[in-house]
Amino acid sequence: MTSFVSTLTRPKSAQAISLTKTPLTAVHHAAMTTHKRWPLGALRRAVSRSFSSSSSTASTTTDAASATFPLKNVTRSNFDSVLSELRSHVRAADFVAIDLEMTGITSAPWRESFEFDRFDIRYLKVRDSAEKFAVLQFGVCPFRWDPLKQSFIAHPHNFFVFPRQEIPLDGQSYEFLCQTSSMDFLAKYQFDFNACINEGISFLSRRQEDEALSRLKLGLMDSWQGSSECTDFPLVRVADVLFTERMKKKLSEWRDGLLQNRDGGLQYQSHSNELKQQLQTVFFEMRPALSLTGFTSHQLKLIKMLTKKHFKDLAYVHRSNEISSQELVVYTDSESDKDLLMKMMKDDHRKQAQRKIKDAVGFRHVVDLLSSESKLIVGHNCFLDIAHISRKFLGPLPPTAEEFVSSINKYLPHIIDTKILLNADNILQQQMKRARTTLSSAFSILCPEIAHGSKSSILPHQPCVKVEVQVDDLRSSNWNSGAKHEAGYDAFMTGCIFAQACSHLGVEFSPSRNLAQNEKLQKHINLLYLTWTNGVIIDLRTGNRIAESLGANLKKFPPILFENIILIWGFPSKLKAREIRECISKVFGPRSVTAIYHIDQTAVFVQFSKTELVSDFLTLKEVLEKNNDLITELHPLSKLLEGGNTGAASYEAYKEICSSPIAKILFADQAEAVGIKWKTKLLVPQVEVETQEHASSSPESTAKTESDVAGESETAKEVGDSEENNPPCGRFMNGEKNNPPYRRFMSDKIIDSLFADEVKHIRTVKY
Amino acid sequence: MVAALLQLQRRLFCSKVSQTHRQQRQWSVKQVTKSNFKDSLEEFSTHLSSSDFIAVSLQNTGSFNAPWHRVSPFDTPDTAYLKARYAADRFQLLQFAVCPFKITDGSKVTAHPYNFHLFPRDELNLGMPSYSFSCQPSFLTAMARQGFDFNACINDGISYLSRAQESVAKVRMGNPIPICNFMQSSTTPPTVADSIFKERIKSRLKHWKHGLDNSSMKTEEALVSSLRKLISGFEQYSSRPCITIDVCSDRQVQLVIEVVGEFSDDLVPLILPSKGGEVQSVRVVLTSSKEDKDLLEREIQNLEYNHNQKVRGFREVIDLISASQKPVVSHNTLNDFSFIHSKFIAPLPPSLNEFVSSLSMVFPSIFDINHLMKETGALEKCTNLFAAKSYLKNRFFVPIDIDVQHQALSNEGKIHGQNVVRICQLFAKLCSVLRITSTAMELGNKHVASGLEGYANIFNSFSRRPQEPVDGDIRVWTKSPRKASCEDLVFLWGFGDRLSTRMLKGLLQGAHDIFSEEFDVRLVDNSCAIVVFWQSGLAQSFLDAMNSDKISGSLRDMVSEGLRAVGYGTYKRACELGLWEVDLADSLEKAMDDVDCSDKSDSDTKPSEIYWCNDLMINLDDL
Repeated sequence: MTSFVSTLTRPKSAQAISLTKTPLTAVHHAAMTTHKRWPLGALRRAVSRSFSSSSSTASTTTDAASATFPLKNVTRSNFDSVLSELRSHVRAADFVAIDLEMTGITSAPWRESFEFDRFDIRYLKVRDSAEKFAVLQFGVCPFRWDPLKQSFIAHPHNFFVFPRQEIPLDGQSYEFLCQTSSMDFLAKYQFDFNACINEGISFLSRRQEDEALSRLKLGLMDSWQGSSECTDFPLVRVADVLFTERMKKKLSEWRDGLLQNRDGGLQYQSHSNELKQQLQTVFFEMRPALSLTGFTSHQLKLIKMLTKKHFKDLAYVHRSNEISSQELVVYTDSESDKDLLMKMMKDDHRKQAQRKIKDAVGFRHVVDLLSSESKLIVGHNCFLDIAHISRKFLGPLPPTAEEFVSSINKYLPHIIDTKILLNADNILQQQMKRARTTLSSAFSILCPEIAHGSKSSILPHQPCVKVEVQVDDLRSSNWNSGAKHEAGYDAFMTGCIFAQACSHLGVEFSPSRNLAQNEKLQKHINLLYLTWTNGVIIDLRTGNRIAESLGANLKKFPPILFENIILIWGFPSKLKAREIRECISKVFGPRSVTAIYHIDQTAVFVQFSKTELVSDFLTLKEVLEKNNDLITELHPLSKLLEGGNTGAASYEAYKEICSSPIAKILFADQAEAVGIKWKTKLLVPQVEVETQEHASSSPESTAKTESDVAGESETAKEVGDSEENNPPCGRFMNGEKNNPPYRRFMSDKIIDSLFADEVKHIRTVKY
Repeated sequence: MVAALLQLQRRLFCSKVSQTHRQQRQWSVKQVTKSNFKDSLEEFSTHLSSSDFIAVSLQNTGSFNAPWHRVSPFDTPDTAYLKARYAADRFQLLQFAVCPFKITDGSKVTAHPYNFHLFPRDELNLGMPSYSFSCQPSFLTAMARQGFDFNACINDGISYLSRAQESVAKVRMGNPIPICNFMQSSTTPPTVADSIFKERIKSRLKHWKHGLDNSSMKTEEALVSSLRKLISGFEQYSSRPCITIDVCSDRQVQLVIEVVGEFSDDLVPLILPSKGGEVQSVRVVLTSSKEDKDLLEREIQNLEYNHNQKVRGFREVIDLISASQKPVVSHNTLNDFSFIHSKFIAPLPPSLNEFVSSLSMVFPSIFDINHLMKETGALEKCTNLFAAKSYLKNRFFVPIDIDVQHQALSNEGKIHGQNVVRICQLFAKLCSVLRITSTAMELGNKHVASGLEGYANIFNSFSRRPQEPVDGDIRVWTKSPRKASCEDLVFLWGFGDRLSTRMLKGLLQGAHDIFSEEFDVRLVDNSCAIVVFWQSGLAQSFLDAMNSDKISGSLRDMVSEGLRAVGYGTYKRACELGLWEVDLADSLEKAMDDVDCSDKSDSDTKPSEIYWCNDLMINLDDL
C-alpha cells in the first residue's frame, strides 16, 4: 500500500524537469508551429509552472506550511474514509467545483465540433462522446467561506475512477474507447494509469443499480450467488458415477451416525483419512453439518445433486461472506425445518447480494452527495462534464438535448459555468479578451495571487479573494500543487475563478446565504454552452436555446442555412474542394454554391444559395447514376460521381449518421455502416428548419462567403491569435474548456483545396 | 445462464492467476520498449535467423463485449472471421511476445523470447496508427493484476505503422527518394516533345554546372555565399550544391533521370514527391568525386533506413518474421492473425478468403496450437494453454527441455510474455506426439516439413480440416457426438427473458408437431437461442410453419407474443453487414429488415457446416 501511495504523489521533480526542458521545446516548437499549435501552450505552461514553483519556494520562507503538499488523492483503499469526511465538507460548502478527466474526446475526426453543426447535432456529438469514453479522474473541490478569516477554505479531492465491473450486469461487458492522442497527452502530464486501473473506484449508475436490484427481486441474482437451481444432469463419466456412489455412502453413513448417536453426541468417524479432511462435522445454525472442503466445483455440483435426490433430511448449503465461502451439507430435523433453513439461506444470499450491489455503487455516492445536498456546482465549460456525469451516474443519455437537460436539472439543480460567467460580464470579458477564457489562463489572470503569488491583479479595484487550501491537517493560504490536468487541481482552479468572478460581480459571501439563490448569479446560473463554436447556450431549467449575440460581425458572414446544405461523401479522394465547387457551379450556375466545408477527407458540406437546389442536385445525381451513357460521362458532375461510391443527402441525413453509435474513422465509411442504403437521399427535415445565426464571439468561425474565395487568408491572424495553449485532443475538457472555438476549423481552408495532409494539418491544429 | 458463465469465467481466471503464482519458475523474457528497441531488434534478427519456428502471443485490450460476439461453435469459418475482424478492428495490442525457437533431437527447445510493449502513439503526427481504440475494463484489470505497468506502456511503448499506413505516410511526408527506388520500366519510343524537354534540361544543367564551377574556384565568405544563394536561387543538399527541376509527369521524371545519367557521373538525381503523392520535381545533386557520390548515396540510404525505422517502429519485427518465411506458431491463429493483419499489414478484407490469401503472402505457414491439440484426439476443451498443457501431461509422456537463452535479467516482479514460451513448449510436445518433429528439422528453413504441412494455415479452430470430405456434416467433439448442417439450424428469439435452455426446450416441445422429432436448443445470449434439428429439412418446415397463416396452437400464441425465427442465412447476413448489436435478437431483426442484401446472400447458397458443441466454450484467452 505504501508503495502505491507514493506513486500517487506526483514527483515534485517534474517541475524541475519541465524547467530544464523549456528551451529545447521552444526550439522544437518554433519549427513546428504550423503543424502543432498546442506545444506553444505546453511551453507556456512549463514557463508558468517554473515561475510558480520558484515563487512558491520564495514564499515558503515567509510561510512555513505553504505550497508543497499534494491534494487529496482518493482510490478505493481510502474511499470510505474520505467519503465520510467529504460529506461534512460538502454540507458546509458554499459551492463545489468539479472537473473530469476522460479517456478521449471524439471517436472520429468527423465527430469534432464544426460550425456547420446544428444544435441537435452538437448534442448528438456530445452524447456520442459521453457514451463511448470513460472517466478516469473526477475532481471535487468544496469551497467554504470562512467569515473570520475572510477567506475561502478549499478541499481539493482527486478521485481515481475506473469502470470496473464489480457485479455482473446482464451478461454484457462494458467497453470504453480511448483516444490515442488523449492517452498520450495524459501520460505526458504524468497521469497515473496504474493507480487508475489498479485502484480506481468503480461505480454503478442509478439505472444499473435499479436493474441489478430488480433482477435480485426476480431471484435471478441467485445464479451468481452460486445457489442456482441445481440442474439434473445425467452422469456420463464413470468417474462421476463412482464418485457419486461413494459420496452417497458417506453421507448416509454420516446421517445414520447422527441419528444413532442422537443422545451420545457426534461420533462420526470417516474411515479414510483423505475423506476425513474433506468432510468435517461442524454446526451450522444450531444444526449438525458436514463442511465440504477440497472438492472441485464439478464434484460439489455432483454432491449437491445427490443430496437433493437421495436425502430428504439433508440440505446442501452455500454460505459466503467477504472473507470466505463455505459449502455445507446440513442435517435438518424435518421438512419444515429444511424449508426454514433454505429460506434463511435465501434471505442471507439476498442480503449479501444487496450489500454487494450497494458496495458496487462506489463513486456514485460522491455525485449523489452533490445531488442530495443541492449545492451549487461550478464547472468550466462543463456541458460535456455534465453529460458524462449523467451518462455514468444516471443512465444512458436521452436522444434529445431537451430531455437530457430536464433530467440533469432534476439531478443537479444548480450548475454554474465559469465560462458563461466570464463571457457574460463586460469588464471581465474585456480583461479576458487579452487572453482566452481557458481554464489555466483565466486562472492566472483572475487569481494571480494563487496562481503565481503575484499581487498585481488585472482588476485593480478588486481585491483578490483569498483561498486557503486544506488537505487533511495541512493548511496553506498559498497553495499550488502545480499539477495541471489533474482533475482535483483543475477543479480547484475552477473554484478560484468562480470565487473571484463572484467578488467582481459584487456577490457577498456569507455562510448564511445560499449562493445558488443569489440574485446576482441568477441570470448566469444553469446556463451552459451547448456549442462554444457557435455560442449557443442552453438553459438547463427550460431547455431553451439562446444564441449568444455579440452582434459585431453578424453581417459580415452569410448565415448558415441548414435547409440549403447538402452532404456529399465517398467522392474520388483526389478531388479538392475547389474542384467540387467548379463541378457544381458548371451545372447550377456560378453563384449557386455559397460555401463548401470539409467534414473530413471523404466528405463535404455544400451550401447552396437556394433551397431548391438541394433537391435539384439530388434528383440530377440520381438520373445521372441511372443512365450510364456517354452523356453522363461528359456531364460536369461525372467528375464528382466517378467511382460510383459518391453519396449525397440533405442535412437531415447528417443527424442520422451522427446519432449512430457506430464509430468509423472516415465519414464515408460511417455513412455506409449506418446503412444509408440510398446513395441519394432527400429527407424532409423533422426539426423545424432554422437558421443558426453566426453570432459567436469568434468571427473566424464562420463559413466563407463567395467574396472570400479569392483566397486571401485574413482569418489566419485571428486563428493564430485565439489558438490555444492546449494540446489537440488533450484531456477531454481542454478541447472544450480552454479553447474558444473548440475545433478551430481554419475557415480560410474551407474553400481551399484540402489535400490529405492538409486535413491532417487541421486535425492537429484543431479547435 | 450468462451470469453463470461470467462467474465461471471469473473463477477460471482466478485459477489461472494462482497457477502462475504457484509456478514460481519464470523464464526470462526480454522486455522491449522504445528505449531498447533498436538494440533488441538486431539481437532479435540474429536469433531469428538461427531458429526454425517463431511463436507469437498477443495481449489485447479486449475481445468482445456481448456474448454472441465471441466466436462460437455454431460459427462457420466465415462468420468466425467476421467476428474476429470486428474485434481486431476495435481493440488494441499492448504486448506482443515473439519467440524464435528451434527443436533439436525432438525434445530440446532452444528459445529466445521477447516481449514487446506497444502503444499506437502518433509519432509522425499523421493521425496514425490508430485514432482511438476500445478497452474492456476486465482485460485491463487482469493485466494490472499481473503487474503490467500501464504508465510505462503509454509513455514508452513502441509505436508502429502498418504496411498500408506506411505507404500513405511516405506520400504525406514527401521525403526525397533516390532513383533506385523509382521504377524505370517504360521504354516508349521518344517523341519530339521528349527530345525538346531533354535538350532543355540538358542546357539547364550545363548552365548550372558551369556557374558552379566558376564560383567554386573562388573561396567566398560565408555571408557572400549565402547571399549569392539567395539571389541566384542556388540550393544545397547536405552541403552539396543542387538544382531542383520541376516535372509534371512520370515520363518527364524518366527523361530527367536519363539526361542526368548521360550528362555526367558526378550528378545524383533525387525524386521529391509532392504532398499529393505524385512526383513533383527532381533534385539533382552535384558531388565532387566518385567517393563523394558513394558517400551521398550511402547518406541517403541511411537517411531512408532511419526514417523507415521511425515510421515502421515495431513493424520491423513483423517484417523480419515475414522475410524469414519461417513458420509461425500461435495459440489461436484466427484471433491473433486478424490482429496482426489489421495492425501491421492492412485493414482486414471483407471476407475470409481474401484474408487468408493476403495473409499467406506475408506468413506462408502458420500453425494453430488449438488445431494441433485436436489432432491429438483431444476432445476436451483445451482452449487455454494451461488446460492444453495439463491435458498433454496426463495423456502423453513427452519430456521437453526448454532452454531460454537470455541472460538472467534483473527482474523486479513479474516477467510478462511467459505464454509465448509455453506455446513453444506445447508446440514441441505436440510435434513429438504427432510424430512430425524429426522430419521438420532436416528440412531447413525454406520448407516446412511435409509432415507438418497438413496442419498449417487452418484458421478456425472450429472449422473442418480441408482434407475432410466437404459433404461431411458436423462432427461434435464434446460429450455427445452429433452432426448437423447449417441448414438445420434456426435462431429463435422473442420467447421472453431469462428462460433456461430446459424451459425453452419444454416450451417448444409442446408448441408444434415438428418438435416431436429430435432437436436441441442452446441459448446464445439472454435474448436468443439456436435450435438444431437433427432431421434434415425440418428446419425449413419449421420456418415455413412460422410464416404460414395456418399457424395454430401454442406456437401461434408464442408467435403472437413475439416469437421470431430465422435461418442461418440471416445470422450470416447480420455478421456480414456488421450489425453488432448487443443482443443477437436485435441484430437478426435488423438483418431481416435489410431486404436489399437478402437477395444477394440468398443466391450464394453454399451449404456449410459447423461444429455443434454442447457447451458454449469458455476461452480463457478471452478474459
